Amino acid sequence: MLYHEKQSYLNIFSGIIITAVFALIVYNKQMAGLIDVTGDYRVWGYLLLIFVGVSVVARIIIQIIFHIINVIATREEDVPKKDERDKMIELKALRNAYYSLSGVLLTMIILLALGVPINAVFIAFILGGLITEIVENSSQIYYYRRSS
Amino acid sequence: MSRANIQNNIRRLRFDRDEMTQQELADAVGVSRQTIVAIEKGNYSPSLELAFRIAMEFNSPLEEVFSYEATEK
Repeated sequence: MLYHEKQSYLNIFSGIIITAVFALIVYNKQMAGLIDVTGDYRVWGYLLLIFVGVSVVARIIIQIIFHIINVIATREEDVPKKDERDKMIELKALRNAYYSLSGVLLTMIILLALGVPINAVFIAFILGGLITEIVENSSQIYYYRRSS
Repeated sequence: MSRANIQNNIRRLRFDRDEMTQQELADAVGVSRQTIVAIEKGNYSPSLELAFRIAMEFNSPLEEVFSYEATEK
């Protein structure tokens, strides 16, 4: 399996784990009465900012661990440089992610128009972000498989 | 990465070049071995620049390395 393919699998896996852990923490805090996600919109802004920050740091750590394990397993120290085919695959995957994100935003607008509570819309937004990430990385895996 | 109508003679040219490996060709033209594999199989059409680099590596004109077969509309 290619290094970039492995990285796509890792991105899907880490995206699901990080989102699940974040959701669990928020759920527990809500149940304990420490936060109120049903009424105060600022709480969502605050939570999403923390989510983005923690997510970036967690991903950097996961990537470092992955690279170390990969070096031990394959004895290839250098990260393979992306050539024109890699960049083409990346672009196509990004296009699919863009379509997915457009769908998520449209869904959010429809949910708001239907009068769905704002906390449900934010949950849909976070899930949509995760789906978009899965779409992007699955697309990369698909295009790598198809062209090899 | 749709299958294109571009055929290539890279496998034969590598053979004529003392069984040059895919990795050696990949290193010479600055891409990964997987990209050379994909081009050889016809699963990926290289950019014009990469096509020229491959042709130059074999000291051959571009049309000797790659050929295009037009499909009927």
